[in-house]
Amino acid sequence: MEQTKKYIEKFLLQNNIPITSNKETLFNDFASNEDMISTVKIIQENQKKMLDKWRLKNRIDDILQQVIMLPNATVNKVYEAKIEFIKLNWNDVIFSEFEGLEEIGLQYDNNEDLIFGTPTASGDIKVKFLFRVDGEKEDSVLNEKTITLIINPDPKSLWKNKESDITDPHWKEDDVAVSGSFLDKKIVVASKRGRSHANVGSFRDDDFAYKNYEKNGWSVVAVSDGAGSATLSRKGAQLACELVVSYFEENFLSDKLEDFDEVIAAHYQESTAETTKKISHFVYKQLSAAAYHVHKELEKLATQTETVLKDYHATLIFALVKKYDFGYTVLTFGVGDCPIGLLSKDMSEINLMNWLDVGEFGGGTRFITMKDIFQNEKFTTRFGFKLVEDFSYLMLMTDGIYDPKFVVEANLEKIEKWKEFVDDLKGNNEDKLSVDFETSEEGIEEQLSEWMDFWNPGNHDDRTLAIIY
Amino acid sequence: MRRLPVYFLLDTSGSMYGEPIQALNNALSGMVNTLRSDPQALDSLWISIVTFDREVKEVVPLTELVDFQLPEITCPQSGPTNTGAGLEYIIQKVKSDVIKSSETQKGDWKPLLFVFTDGKPSDIQLYRQKTPEIKALNFGAVVGCAAGHMANDDILKELTDDVVHLDSADSQTLKSFFKWVSETIEQGNKSQGTGESIGLPPPPSEITVVT
Repeated sequence: MEQTKKYIEKFLLQNNIPITSNKETLFNDFASNEDMISTVKIIQENQKKMLDKWRLKNRIDDILQQVIMLPNATVNKVYEAKIEFIKLNWNDVIFSEFEGLEEIGLQYDNNEDLIFGTPTASGDIKVKFLFRVDGEKEDSVLNEKTITLIINPDPKSLWKNKESDITDPHWKEDDVAVSGSFLDKKIVVASKRGRSHANVGSFRDDDFAYKNYEKNGWSVVAVSDGAGSATLSRKGAQLACELVVSYFEENFLSDKLEDFDEVIAAHYQESTAETTKKISHFVYKQLSAAAYHVHKELEKLATQTETVLKDYHATLIFALVKKYDFGYTVLTFGVGDCPIGLLSKDMSEINLMNWLDVGEFGGGTRFITMKDIFQNEKFTTRFGFKLVEDFSYLMLMTDGIYDPKFVVEANLEKIEKWKEFVDDLKGNNEDKLSVDFETSEEGIEEQLSEWMDFWNPGNHDDRTLAIIY
Repeated sequence: MRRLPVYFLLDTSGSMYGEPIQALNNALSGMVNTLRSDPQALDSLWISIVTFDREVKEVVPLTELVDFQLPEITCPQSGPTNTGAGLEYIIQKVKSDVIKSSETQKGDWKPLLFVFTDGKPSDIQLYRQKTPEIKALNFGAVVGCAAGHMANDDILKELTDDVVHLDSADSQTLKSFFKWVSETIEQGNKSQGTGESIGLPPPPSEITVVT
């Protein structure tokens, strides 16, 4: 009763009708009238209804306006995203479902508030979030909010395989694989154009060459990686390898080598400071001359063809190997980021024959085409020598193999990493592809070539791997 | 996996208000979509967007393209162009974000920086103090873009040799500029000699290379 009175009094005042003291009795009677009491009650009920309705509408609008982003998904990759009702301040959302998820391979779990599944289509997908908030009728039409879900394409599906231009003067085959003998051992080499090149129809920059020199009993294998940023690097890499082979063909003659054979024999009997020094001397003299020859020839070519030397940027590693009665001598040179690994016969030891030129940043390395490598104080450390009774594998590889399989330099010195690598080659991999070093002589190059197609995110460079086994 | 970190430093000063900022948003969104369809970018690209006007704002911290979501970039109706403060912020971020190679860690590709402005620095002193620091950071490329007649090419030239000029900041021009940016980014993950920078792809007709 008192409330009704107050309500009417306030209402009259809003209309500029104050109750003066001489009207108080009249007002009291008016406000206590049954009819007035029920009128006020109805008004108040309606007001409350109106207020509730507005609150509800306002609340729904808030939710509709609220920016919500679901984490991005990727085609063929398992996806899971929780709708964080509490964080979103959606405690009053009493029912929710999604529309449009099934078409893209996803589902919504109402109890767990979870979107999950494996997306099948890419794009900026608009999905409908349908919901009901507390206060709405149970059979009311659900509110509809559009949420954008970004689905990335599956990178695997995007790679194109464009043919390289066969009419280009420096064209070379996209994939090559060969096998043969190397001294009394065998050699298998495969070199493949990387996906990043295939995607745009550019050429394989990697290259390799090997040769057994009948006349002096030595064999050589060279691997080179042309710089991705240099326009003629594929030619640079090819020539670098060929030049190494031809240099030793012409300059590694038996009269020079007899003394060395004696030193090696003496070194095998007893390694002394003197034998070590003589060997270092020989290795430095012969191999640096070969490396410099490659540099000079490339420089000559650049001048003749009015190109610049840096267009031919290529890394270079090579190994000269000779078999003696008591073992194998391995001499190496390296510039760039391609490793040479010599694995002991019982696989208990790895000799990393060279250090890698890796800069602070990815891709920054040094090339045989850079003059300053020859003048640098570290030049003398680019050579390697090893005398072993036998070995299981001698491997030369470009960064296209080393990056995905060894990842960082430190791993190249770990025997367990090399064991894993050999196991991988023997079939311990996702695709179950193996290279059979024991029995298959025929077709081993195809096995290696197929193995080399392995998938590794972010690593789509050319791949070259030479294995002497 | 090797990352290619790419920084965008964008002018959101008063003069960008209205149509230009709208055009910038659309062009950025188009660029991100283009990059999303590049398998190489999907595997390696990380993007950060920093804006500068009176204040410097990190709109998106360095984020992998796969997870990247482009927010609406807004700008005040008026106010100064604190390019120097923007550079100062980028320097600090690059130093903390970018991973360098070590024996046990795979380093990032050299980061790229794109600076977009339609005016000239209001904080010219700070700007000139920061340009040598940017140069010392060893970016794979720093590309300056001056849009419209108010933009000062010469001052941008102090920051980098690679400056391009857009006649206006309209939708079509920005779209083609950012298409070119995406092509430049695609050059960013190739092996190169230590100390050498990447070559920029030929620009479309809307873009004038400032020499």
